[in-house]
Amino acid sequence: MNLETATRLTEILLALALIQQSLEHLRGGRDEQALFLTRIGLCGLVVLGVSSPWPMVALAGLSLLILQRFQGPYNGGSDRMGLLALWCLTLSRLAPSLPLRELAFGYLAAQLILSYVISGGVKIVNPDWRSGRALRDVFRFSAYPVAEDLRRLADRPRLLMGMSWAVMLFELVFPLAMISRPTLILALVIAAAFHLANACLFGLNRFFWTWLSVYPAILWLQHRLV
Amino acid sequence: MFKPLALLAPALIPSWNFFDVIAPSPRLEYALCASAGGKPGPWQIFRPLPRRVSPLTMLGRLLWNPRWNETLFLVSCAERLVQNPTAHSEDEIFRRLAADLARQPDAGASKPWLSFRLVFLSLEGDDLVETELFRAQPRRLADIVAR
Repeated sequence: MNLETATRLTEILLALALIQQSLEHLRGGRDEQALFLTRIGLCGLVVLGVSSPWPMVALAGLSLLILQRFQGPYNGGSDRMGLLALWCLTLSRLAPSLPLRELAFGYLAAQLILSYVISGGVKIVNPDWRSGRALRDVFRFSAYPVAEDLRRLADRPRLLMGMSWAVMLFELVFPLAMISRPTLILALVIAAAFHLANACLFGLNRFFWTWLSVYPAILWLQHRLV
Repeated sequence: MFKPLALLAPALIPSWNFFDVIAPSPRLEYALCASAGGKPGPWQIFRPLPRRVSPLTMLGRLLWNPRWNETLFLVSCAERLVQNPTAHSEDEIFRRLAADLARQPDAGASKPWLSFRLVFLSLEGDDLVETELFRAQPRRLADIVAR
């Protein structure tokens, strides 16, 4: 996958993810509707490839107004990855030379790798994660489970310890998947299944679409480096 | 204050420390009262969880999940209110509470003042403990711009 193809694919997937999020905001207040209707229109131009790169530049500018509106990201980590992707893509499009384009786009791919590795690292140094207690607490009293029935998983310590170690080890070894195209594709399929599970159990649907939208960047980086 | 670049920086240089520690978790509760100085009550949990969500509904929420995402935004506002209180977080919670109440017939008819409190859940040993860390001054429902 060459740089242009990967960049274009990431742009389209990100624009579709942002359209999905924006549609959800249309049931909000008038100020939200104005911001997100504008975003839907700009994302449409990105998908159609009209006037590139200016719709991306406008989306990056609009993201600052949205950050100001909510005094931060609306939905934490998923919105942060969306912002990172949007700004890296915009900078890559505006960069005056190929190395700078690659640098901006490669930074996005590197952050995707770090999102797994660091997340696994901060968990494995915590004894509560190693014992399964942290995941038990997530199900027992955190705000994330989408139904009361799911809280009963807190009573299955062996299952939770197994799930904790599976998540931590997968996140930590994720960079090793870069050694070949088949291993990377396998790792991305597993990662997508992990995000799908989080979307189902904790209602984190934005993570699923946003992380998937960045996958072309890591496929490009693997091809570029290996 | 217009500070979007300060808000953007954590996205451009992210920490990625998801769920590193499981912190006390906020619950948003609201109550109506007859007057600004009246005793609010009874306290009600805002959007209590359903008993069960079917797999089909879970998959459907991949594409359409505005209510849950709004609830998670209010969790963020609750955490901000305790860590770094701002009028913005309090206003957002009032607005969205009022919008939900506006969909209920007769809500606030006899008790036109709205208040909310933040109760944080944590574990002490094996016991789940509730601690109230914030209580908002009541506001008249009619004065809250719900949407």
